[in-house]
Amino acid sequence: MRLKIAVLIGVGVLALAGCGRPQPSTHRIAFITNNAADFWTIARKGTEKADAELADVSVEFRLGDGTAAAQKRIVDDLLAKGVEGLAISPVDPANQTAMLDAAAKQALVFTHDSDAPNSKRECYVGTDNVAAGRQAGELIKEALPQGGKIALFVGKLDARNAQERLQGIKAALTGSPIEIIDVRTDDTDQVRAKANVSEMLVSHPEVAALVGLWSYNGPAILNAVRDGGRIGQVKIIAFDEDDETLSGVKSGAIVGTVVQQPYEFGYQSITLLAKALNGDRSGIPASRQLFVPTRVIRQNDVDDFRTKLSQLRGR
Amino acid sequence: MKKEFATFALLLVLCLIVTALNPRFLSAANLQNTARLIGAFGIFSLGLGLVIITGGIDLSVGSAFALLGVLLSIMLTEWGLPWPLAVAGIIALGAVLGAFHGLLITRLGLQPFIVTLCGLLLYRGLARFIARDETKGFGDAAGFQTLQQLATGSVFHVPTPFVALVLSSAVMWVVLHRSVYGRHLFATGRNEVAARYSGVNVHRVTVGAYVILGLLVGLSAIVFAFYTNSISPSSHGSFFELYGIAAAVLGGCTLRGGEGSVIGILLGTTLLQVLQNLVNLLGIPSSLDFAVMGGVILVGVIGDQVLQRRRARIVRA
Repeated sequence: MRLKIAVLIGVGVLALAGCGRPQPSTHRIAFITNNAADFWTIARKGTEKADAELADVSVEFRLGDGTAAAQKRIVDDLLAKGVEGLAISPVDPANQTAMLDAAAKQALVFTHDSDAPNSKRECYVGTDNVAAGRQAGELIKEALPQGGKIALFVGKLDARNAQERLQGIKAALTGSPIEIIDVRTDDTDQVRAKANVSEMLVSHPEVAALVGLWSYNGPAILNAVRDGGRIGQVKIIAFDEDDETLSGVKSGAIVGTVVQQPYEFGYQSITLLAKALNGDRSGIPASRQLFVPTRVIRQNDVDDFRTKLSQLRGR
Repeated sequence: MKKEFATFALLLVLCLIVTALNPRFLSAANLQNTARLIGAFGIFSLGLGLVIITGGIDLSVGSAFALLGVLLSIMLTEWGLPWPLAVAGIIALGAVLGAFHGLLITRLGLQPFIVTLCGLLLYRGLARFIARDETKGFGDAAGFQTLQQLATGSVFHVPTPFVALVLSSAVMWVVLHRSVYGRHLFATGRNEVAARYSGVNVHRVTVGAYVILGLLVGLSAIVFAFYTNSISPSSHGSFFELYGIAAAVLGGCTLRGGEGSVIGILLGTTLLQVLQNLVNLLGIPSSLDFAVMGGVILVGVIGDQVLQRRRARIVRA
């Protein structure tokens, strides 16, 4: 079916080019992600909701491929097409400042999901990852009242959100009898992600809890702990709302997961941008950071959360 | 056999060092973990080695894992196909992709590097499109628990991927070292023109190598899909072809073609997995992971080169 669609799109693409251009009076706003992940499917729903609500706005949603180069090309294309406002999740904020500043000369620029505080972006909409890390830290303390050794797993440690989550966790654990023995990275290779956990269970059999900082680390830990026959003995704390992570929380194998609200990233970015383009900047906080709070999902919250999630994903 | 010796020696020395530093290296749990990964990576490395022996290359393996993994998940969870049919379908599809590469390379005379580079881009894109950029998984495996147990389980404590690797290796050993096809394969890789003049159907031999790689990629794809239990189409299997190429080269295949052995490829795969294992077991920072791998491979290749030169000098003298 999808293959048929692919062919149809291929044939129809030229015919469609030039159609569907918005009226000159509407504001063209773009929402750009850092990569392609389920997370963004939910954010997309938020942008679509805002698009539907606001009569004078047309929203374009673009997926990045995880590289700064692709984002630069997307932004250049969008600006050339006359986009007035854009919300972007920069892949490499420190080195994309110049690109964002250049874009800010031609359009109103927001960052979402990942911030570039040194750029001329107007506002950041997204998670306070230090606070999210602190919530995870509290979950760890709850799971290990007697203390113990824990290990952390993440894709890349040089990513800002990884650093901030780690910082939050460390802050929450200060003064507790819990010791972080290692942080292992996997370069987003999921096979390595799981192998890292299996090997941690071998090299440190005394480890009491495992924490996954990125969405796929939760399932990777869960599967490795299950294969090793250590479910229940080793506590698991995760981030984000991967299906398997939620199943793990539901079954009790995972203590809890800290989830972001990507729907709000999409919705709030677009509505704030639209307002600002109409001259109303009252929605932008003085700090230029609009934090969308994270939530902790425990065993009792899973069913409600899942229902809401499938509505958002349109399944 | 001589060429594999350097790799074998390196592997042995590494294992001894790691065991001395952390005896848990030889614990049952660790051996099982490592054997499972050696199985998963070894199966497709055998095929990649075969293609390299013909003087070809395949860069599309990692993307094919993503595409086949996504399709496997859709077949099992959305279409509800009986699992033996889904498995057969995925392996057949792998073979079709291989045949497609092989025909483009032989019939149209395109370079393997270009053909499979396009495959790398094409299959990754298709995987993402078909999955709508969402992670595909297997849920609670309702209806195909047997397959899940088969792919993730063990036979007498030996992980099934490793068993599958041993069986595939036995078959491939006969194909490569004891069959007419194997002889033709080496002949084609060493000197395609000479092989053709000697009456070898080099086109059929080359296409055959890509089809065999395709079959093995299909099998590996199933193992990887159930190992991670979820397939995120944008990153699943990314760069895995490089592990296969590195394993083949470490095991004595040359990228010029015409040389290589099943034993060598197995040793190469094992060495790569042991290297990654030791980084974790010895608590070497993850950031050094690739550096350790690169460094040790380089030592192996240099050692091999030095040994060969010395041997050549002795022969001359």
